[in-house]
Amino acid sequence: MSSPLKPLEGNWWAIPTSRHEKIWVWISVVWGLILFGWMVGWSFFGAQNQHGPTYRIEPAAYRAKLAAYREASTVTEQGLRPAGEDVYIAAMRYGFDGLPVILKAGKTYRLHLTSYDVQHGLSIRPEHALSKQVTFQLLPGYEWVIPMRFDEPGVYHVVCNEFCGIGHRTMHGIFIVEE
Amino acid sequence: MAGLLLSGTYDAEGFRTCSVTGLRIHRDVERYVKLFALTAVVALLIGGISAIFVALTRWEVIGLADPPAFYKWLSIHAWNLLIFWMVFMEVAILYIGGPLVLGRPLPTPKLAGIGYLLMLVAALMINHAIATTEAPDSAPLLTSYAPLPSPPLFYLGVILFILGVIIAALPFFITIWQEKQEYPHRTLPLVSFGAFITSIIALEALLGGLITYIPTFLWRIGVVEHIDAAWYRQMYWIIGHGSQQINLAAMITVWYFLTHVVGGAEVVSEKLSRTAFILYLFFINMGAAHHLLADPGVHMSWKHWNTSYAVYGAVLASMIHAFAIPAGLEAGRRKRGFGRQGLFGWLWSAPWGNPVFSATVLGIIMFGFIGGISGVVMGQTQLNLTWHNTLGVPGHFHGTVVLGTTLTFMALVYFALPVLFNRDLAFKPLARIQPYFYAVAMGLATIMMIYLGVLYGVPRRHPSVMSFPGTDFSFAAASPLFAIFGVAAILALIAGASFLLVAVGSLLFGKRIDNPALVMPLLISGGSDDQPVHTYSMQGTLTLTLIFLAVFAVIYIVNWYLLGRLWAIG
Repeated sequence: MSSPLKPLEGNWWAIPTSRHEKIWVWISVVWGLILFGWMVGWSFFGAQNQHGPTYRIEPAAYRAKLAAYREASTVTEQGLRPAGEDVYIAAMRYGFDGLPVILKAGKTYRLHLTSYDVQHGLSIRPEHALSKQVTFQLLPGYEWVIPMRFDEPGVYHVVCNEFCGIGHRTMHGIFIVEE
Repeated sequence: MAGLLLSGTYDAEGFRTCSVTGLRIHRDVERYVKLFALTAVVALLIGGISAIFVALTRWEVIGLADPPAFYKWLSIHAWNLLIFWMVFMEVAILYIGGPLVLGRPLPTPKLAGIGYLLMLVAALMINHAIATTEAPDSAPLLTSYAPLPSPPLFYLGVILFILGVIIAALPFFITIWQEKQEYPHRTLPLVSFGAFITSIIALEALLGGLITYIPTFLWRIGVVEHIDAAWYRQMYWIIGHGSQQINLAAMITVWYFLTHVVGGAEVVSEKLSRTAFILYLFFINMGAAHHLLADPGVHMSWKHWNTSYAVYGAVLASMIHAFAIPAGLEAGRRKRGFGRQGLFGWLWSAPWGNPVFSATVLGIIMFGFIGGISGVVMGQTQLNLTWHNTLGVPGHFHGTVVLGTTLTFMALVYFALPVLFNRDLAFKPLARIQPYFYAVAMGLATIMMIYLGVLYGVPRRHPSVMSFPGTDFSFAAASPLFAIFGVAAILALIAGASFLLVAVGSLLFGKRIDNPALVMPLLISGGSDDQPVHTYSMQGTLTLTLIFLAVFAVIYIVNWYLLGRLWAIG
């Protein structure tokens, strides 16, 4: 009897383990190494890594930066056309400052992401393929700089997916990626 | 009510011998186990009612609640099911794993009573605070992410609830202390050991909760001026994720317990099962990092190391349990002469008509295939970008906490009704099918949530995604999956209500039985030969776990394929 309800006496550590169980444990160890190895490996050979520096910044200071960026950009009816590689976006209740923005396909931009008030989510997907979705958490007081390169032209829709208040569901923004 | 709690005949020292498990049970232990378990079932009822509003709002064809009401119902749903149903049950499990299994009296029953009262008052405060939330406060949902303010009474309620749980856990710790003082050379039974590991993980989570909520409360009432969003997320997830690891460890402890008493399972390797619990102790809390993978301010190497529980230490533990528990059934049943023929004879011959057994085994299967795999996949640093805050996340934790833990705790209630409450099950045919009904309906609803999140990028915590003001964009393409989700959710609600009907019906109208061994099959004392359990074949289990691994690998590869199609990031 080997009951989970009875105290053990003696050297139970020495009781052998079944062959089948040993096989499974070794398979599990190897599987864990594969999971870890692939994830770390993707940081080096994969194209999608949320890697980029974060800076502390007060919302007011970021607003000033974004205003200067807007000044330097071309303002069109469809949205902002940034002058350089930097793109500034801030979420706030209930919208995205800096969107819509017009980007060139195949060009790498540095996206500067933050929030002016509470936590928000930046959830982006192209209009034609809802499954191609990624999300970044936006925090007030932190400016996260992530490089991105959109290869497929089209309209990309942004919604907020962190609860930010009663109007949360109305937040929407656009990236336009042109040839 | 009082009659239900106080029934039973005890000897002069306050003990009785359980005819099903053979355990010596003390009066105080039994009463408090019943009290905590009954309160948990009440929370399940409240959480279940709120589920109607949550599910039928998200299925926008019905669109039951407007946004403010939806966020309140969602908060009620989260707190009553994810916290109160679970934690009241877990205190009961600590008392089962500690004094009940060890055959000891409940030390300091007054502390159990004070802890209970504090938890109850705090739970009422939290529900009240959510229901009466008004601007500028927002409904807290589960996470109450600062700097979005929640009602001050809510934070205070959470602090009191945490203190209540710590006080209610003290009699358990004292029990373990006394046991080790009395028998320094005796090793705790596996169920007590599992409960002990659960309690340590719980204590870490609860202390994290105090570190989070006390400063947040002070900030909300104006004593502290500023609260940092990133600090809050780091601290909050110590308890936010930690509390879910309590569910995990408690659930696995119950699996070892119930597969043994109703299925005839044995422990095939004390060494490995205990090692797995120790791995949880060291590594499982690192899983809190799963919530910070899409966050700024945290380096990729920090994310890789923590999200993988230091190279999958805790996943290894879960994989060991995933083998050890079915293997315990296989070897234990083969040893007892049940279905010795073939690879799965031990499984076909199992008591599938007993809801204690079926709910436990369905909990194991659904937890592994749906909750477990999705958790590891979404917990890979880069894959998380495609899952974070989509409906796939609630999908994942309905796979763990609902299909796994809730089914398992339902099994425990089905077990406690005859064994502790001395009531035969009412509505027996309904009780027999309820676990299957619930597992299938809830399983379908859960898989739909995962599909909606991962394949359609549908956000969580949204009352409406079929239209956004000022744009033509919407998630209307996902409507067919929402329809399947909605119907499955309604069926799951009916199945959940069936459980409550059986549980409450048995307590109120169930036939009184003085010898529960007459209605529960006696399996623990069987065993026709004396061969050590590890010498029996576990080939059936190895086959099942290899199927599990194959499914795991396919889902893993599909997720990386989906990520690899995206534009260049980073």
